[in-house]
Amino acid sequence: MLRIFIKPELCAGCKNCQVTCLAEHSPSRSVWLVNLSDQGSRPRNFVELNNEGQPVPLSCRHCDEPECVNSCMSGALYKDPATGIVAHNPEQCAGCWMCVMSCPFGMIFPDARENKVSVKCDFCAGRDKPRCVEACLTGAITLIEVPSSNIDGKYPNLARGE
Amino acid sequence: MRYLILGASATGLSAAGAIRQNDPWGDITVLSGDRHIYSRCLLPDVLAGRRDAAAARFVPEDFLRRNGVRWAGGVKAVKLLPEEKGVAADNGDKFFYDKLLIATGSSSYLPPVENINRGRQVYGLRNLEDVWDITRAAGNCRQAVIMGGGLVGVDAAVSLNEKGLAVVIVEIAGHILPLQLDQRAAASYEALFRNRGIEIITGEMMNRIILDDRQNVTGVQLKSGRVIPCGLVVAATGVRPNIDFLEGTPVEVGRGIKVNEYQETSYPDIYAAGDVCESLEVFTGKVAPTPIWPLAVLQGQVAGTNMAGGRRKIVNNFAFKNSMEFYGLNTVSFGFPEAPDTSYTTYIMESPGSYKKYIFKDGCLRGAILQGDISRAGVTGALIRKNTPVGVAPGKLFDLNYAYFFNQRENGEFVL
Repeated sequence: MLRIFIKPELCAGCKNCQVTCLAEHSPSRSVWLVNLSDQGSRPRNFVELNNEGQPVPLSCRHCDEPECVNSCMSGALYKDPATGIVAHNPEQCAGCWMCVMSCPFGMIFPDARENKVSVKCDFCAGRDKPRCVEACLTGAITLIEVPSSNIDGKYPNLARGE
Repeated sequence: MRYLILGASATGLSAAGAIRQNDPWGDITVLSGDRHIYSRCLLPDVLAGRRDAAAARFVPEDFLRRNGVRWAGGVKAVKLLPEEKGVAADNGDKFFYDKLLIATGSSSYLPPVENINRGRQVYGLRNLEDVWDITRAAGNCRQAVIMGGGLVGVDAAVSLNEKGLAVVIVEIAGHILPLQLDQRAAASYEALFRNRGIEIITGEMMNRIILDDRQNVTGVQLKSGRVIPCGLVVAATGVRPNIDFLEGTPVEVGRGIKVNEYQETSYPDIYAAGDVCESLEVFTGKVAPTPIWPLAVLQGQVAGTNMAGGRRKIVNNFAFKNSMEFYGLNTVSFGFPEAPDTSYTTYIMESPGSYKKYIFKDGCLRGAILQGDISRAGVTGALIRKNTPVGVAPGKLFDLNYAYFFNQRENGEFVL
């Protein structure tokens, strides 16, 4: 599976990754047309300063053993065994926030507009490369190919799809 | 290899998946008192009419077929026969196994209140059948009394309120949700509920359920003597593990079935996981029941993997975490809701619609409540679970995020 790998020492804190994430998940998908002042839209990734003031770009890791999936009582979250992506089905989501409570990294949260379902990185489903990776000008956000222990069947879950 | 799983909720089905991933050819049977697969956590949604029963299913339609699991739904285990490696069921059949998982969960506990077992409209909120029973009773009355203001009780109250009933919650503690919240965080919900017409009575207990001559519920009497008329009582006063069928067997039981870190019981080839067992919990360091969904799934995975010949130990058996949303207000809490004594330091930040509280001891986080904005709450939870010094200045506490703890494996996975 593909996974985002972060090199925080290269991050300039430009937040291009956040803007393109917002754009990708807006109706137009365009950086030019996305409404940046809309309080209801929120990127699924973020850049935060660490203790030393160094910006760190952060987004979901699509963990091999995703705690959000294990905590999901509605079946909305599942790890796709084919792609390794931890996917979320808003139709099934009950907004119980057990995933928000359980992700040790804080990478899934209530949607800002309706506060009804969780949202998280979907790896820009359908694209070859997530937009944040394409938009990173410094090489702080990169893609790597990793073996997934889940696909080896080591850590099973209630995954759907094939 | 013949695997028999008793129970088809979070634990039973995650174990079935784990077995299948580790043993492609094994023979897996799930025996369940439930006729259908559904998430117990979604029952309040079904009761309120927000979701139909079919959508309360938490696994895909083809889960059993895809994993080659034989389904024996609506069949209850009544007697464990460990010498012959079998289980007798209520339909007269016997089921035999090489490896057995007990994942029978728990049932609503009915406290010793006069008439509680005789009243016809007294229900727990635990099974789909409870939802149908409550719905029927709710159609014949105007007011319901909820015994217990914990998460189940509050969920039931909100659902019945949405159905148009007048609802009264009776809670023995000084505020609702006493295991999850402090007085301040609970007060936000109490105000929201009262605005919606839900009455909340705290510091009070049920004395007796009042019945007519046909055992129909007509009201309740509290310890103070106050009488509340109602046609329905929902008992939300805790759960007890479903272990009756183990009576007279050598499987050791405490407050639940005793298991080790491999989810093995005291008897060979018998495993237990989820609400039915008690296990070593990491926040308290004590053996206790751990009745939350995420641990039901995790323990099921560990049990299933080990039943199929693996050797996986449970880690992060952390039960002190709660999340909730009522009328648009979100809360996540971890560990202690209140500092247990003066050796703890508490930091609080309040603003309109937001309340955050962190409880420290010796530099380690031991409790937190986040109400309002709950995004990134899991970072706080992981720090409490880890119980190591946090190393973040108190001023930065209210903005805790993973950048402070960033630690990436070679394969890009995060660690905390």
